Amino acid sequence: MIIQPEGLPGDIRREADVVIIGSGAGGGPIAKELSEEGYSVVVLEEGGYFTREDFDFRAGQAFTRLYRDASQTVTLGMPTIVVPQGKTVGGTTTINSGTCLRIPRHVLKRWHLECGLRDISEEELGLLYSAVEEYLQVKRADPEVAGRNNILFLESAEGLGYSGGFLPRNAKDCEGFGVCAYGCPSGAKQSVNVSYIPDAIRAGADLYTRCRAERIVVRGGRATGVRGRFLDPHTGKKTYRMEVEASVVVLAAGAVQTPSLLMHNRLCLSSGRVGKNLSIHPCGAAMALLDEPLGNPKGIPQSAYVDEFAPEGIMLEGVTIPPAVMAITLPWGGRRHAETMWRYPYIGSFGSMISEHDSSGKVVAGPSARQPLTFYNLGRGDLDRLKRSILLMAEIWFAAGAKRVYTPIAGFKELTGPRDFARLARTSLNRAGVYGLSAYHPMGTCSMGADPYSSVIKSSGETWEVENLYICDASMLPTSLGVNPQLTIMSLAMRTAGFIDDRLSEGAFEKQRAGRLERLRGRLRTEKESIAKRLAGESDSPRQLLG
Amino acid sequence: MRNYFVERLRRLAPIFIEPVEDLPPADPEQVVEFSREFLRAGTPAFRVIFYAMIFVLQAICLLVRGKSVYSLPPEEADEFIQSLYNHRFTALSTIPTILGTPMYMAHYNRDDIQEPLGFDIAAMREEAAAREVQR
Ligand SMILES: Cc1cc2nc3c(=O)[nH]c(=O)nc-3n(C[C@H](O)[C@H](O)[C@H](O)COP(=O)(O)OP(=O)(O)OC[C@H]3O[C@@H](n4cnc5c(N)ncnc54)[C@H](O)[C@@H]3O)c2cc1C
Ligand code: SF4
Repeated sequence: MIIQPEGLPGDIRREADVVIIGSGAGGGPIAKELSEEGYSVVVLEEGGYFTREDFDFRAGQAFTRLYRDASQTVTLGMPTIVVPQGKTVGGTTTINSGTCLRIPRHVLKRWHLECGLRDISEEELGLLYSAVEEYLQVKRADPEVAGRNNILFLESAEGLGYSGGFLPRNAKDCEGFGVCAYGCPSGAKQSVNVSYIPDAIRAGADLYTRCRAERIVVRGGRATGVRGRFLDPHTGKKTYRMEVEASVVVLAAGAVQTPSLLMHNRLCLSSGRVGKNLSIHPCGAAMALLDEPLGNPKGIPQSAYVDEFAPEGIMLEGVTIPPAVMAITLPWGGRRHAETMWRYPYIGSFGSMISEHDSSGKVVAGPSARQPLTFYNLGRGDLDRLKRSILLMAEIWFAAGAKRVYTPIAGFKELTGPRDFARLARTSLNRAGVYGLSAYHPMGTCSMGADPYSSVIKSSGETWEVENLYICDASMLPTSLGVNPQLTIMSLAMRTAGFIDDRLSEGAFEKQRAGRLERLRGRLRTEKESIAKRLAGESDSPRQLLG
Repeated sequence: MRNYFVERLRRLAPIFIEPVEDLPPADPEQVVEFSREFLRAGTPAFRVIFYAMIFVLQAICLLVRGKSVYSLPPEEADEFIQSLYNHRFTALSTIPTILGTPMYMAHYNRDDIQEPLGFDIAAMREEAAAREVQR
């Protein structure tokens, strides 16, 4: 059942086998897997519950209702970067673009060699990915609804000899309404709010919305429950208390809130790694004024990619934005702003995502657990990569016939042709000179590892320090992933669910694990049209990805 | 939001949001209403900075132009805002960026503004309702 605070009689006390904090990419799959195994599961979610009828295409409303702090969450450091996060049932998946990519093979190798995570084998991860892809009905974006913006860019990139293609997405029968980041109004996108959570509820899980977990109760070195408070839907003020006693606690509050909760509870701090190791995939964007109307934002916002430069840590991915978002992205105001906005139908946009090499970031405890501080400094190498990605996008846009390209670089806000382009190419940037950067993939702040001195959790997801306390969200990823992370988080969540199942049933670990994998294999074999096979058989599969 | 800021925001809206072609002009009340909600739902830090920027904008204008930003003729006000946006010191270009965020979002979030730009929300909502996808 989904229980909203409006109907509550007063304070709530519950008992359950498992209590999960957060209902996003990490929490949702665990809730489903464990409730379907017959365990009693309670999920606490700080955000509200909204359905497709509530998603009204308006970015402004989405920011204030579905995003944490109305999307004003930024990093402190050089430069300032906006890091939007979801706060609603389904977590950030409810407002994400639906792209589903597997971990690149070289990143998994790094996990094996640098982090000692050899037990996350390629075979096991491959099976987990297949299961998640099957469940979420992942398939390539349909070129029919991919949107002119993405297609034009992709064709132009291919014309220049750069490799690319259409992205795998979890949006069956997507009609390209172009507003994935504001809640999918048709229900096509299989985000956690319409997939894992409803299935978990069907299997008996209870989800409390607008309930913020504050305390993780630990007795004798073991997690035994969670205490929290309900929040008034209108004022956000605390109302009734919530207390859940449970055998297992799963922290799945996302890469910023999870370390903050641990810090405020003074848990797992011995290694000094909680909150450290933050990576975010800093993103640049290049907008272009074209001769033809693009029909924006109709079409899948993120349907195409260019991965020619993935080995350098640069991934280019589509991004179409509605007027309200373009309006806050433009680097000028007044008359010029109005005139540019008037040309909205002719403005294309594309994004770049940098896989970090020398940037550094951390989450530290803020004035309250709700308001942690996020520090992030872009490294020299990553800044150069960012500049290169913007130049590449400008090159592709100009080749597509753009008259002007708008960039987030001071002094180069508008490129009008090859001369500006060459000038930017020659210029050495400083970090204060890039503005309006954003990042959508905070991760790594409670990283997994084989060494308790340099990681926060074991590869099973359990924390090294507190028994029966598991962490399962983007914070567990030990390195910058290089691709959009939801599929990896969900796959690892299924893996963690297996270990929790094992703990709760007190079965012999290896036997259980072998049994689980066998079941998974069986499940996939019986599927007639395995999406795994479909994807593997495709020629335009992104480079170097696992599977 | 205190009345003082409501009043300032009302007067800043037409400076930031200039009329263009066939698009309806800024509606200061709508800008104030949206900004109120945007600031309420946001971080305390952004709220504080936003309000501070209202003062800073005015102070810089008095310093540089010798006049209140609210009393500049439209051309001059536009020039002033533009000069801040284009300033090579990030600290200065950040001032209009922060102030413009809720104002521009409010204005371009309006259905009657988005529709002439090709984003017809009513039609899209109807279409989405007709194409509901079941899992
Ligand atoms: C605009 C946007 C587009 C994106 N597009 C893609 C994409 O196309 N593909 C992709 O792979 N990734 C994408 N991502 C990223 C991806 O969605 C996230 O990496 C992923 O959802 C993170 O999962 P998580 O479980 O760590 O956190 P979340 O999914 O954010 O879930 C955490 C949940 O915990 C809740 N919570 C936090 N603290 C508490 C508390 N104390 N008590 C109770 N509840 C709490 C939060 O409200 C939230 O709902 C995108 C992100 C954004 C912002
Ligand atoms: S493009 Fe539209 S229909 Fe497709 S997933 Fe996104 S919001 Fe849903």
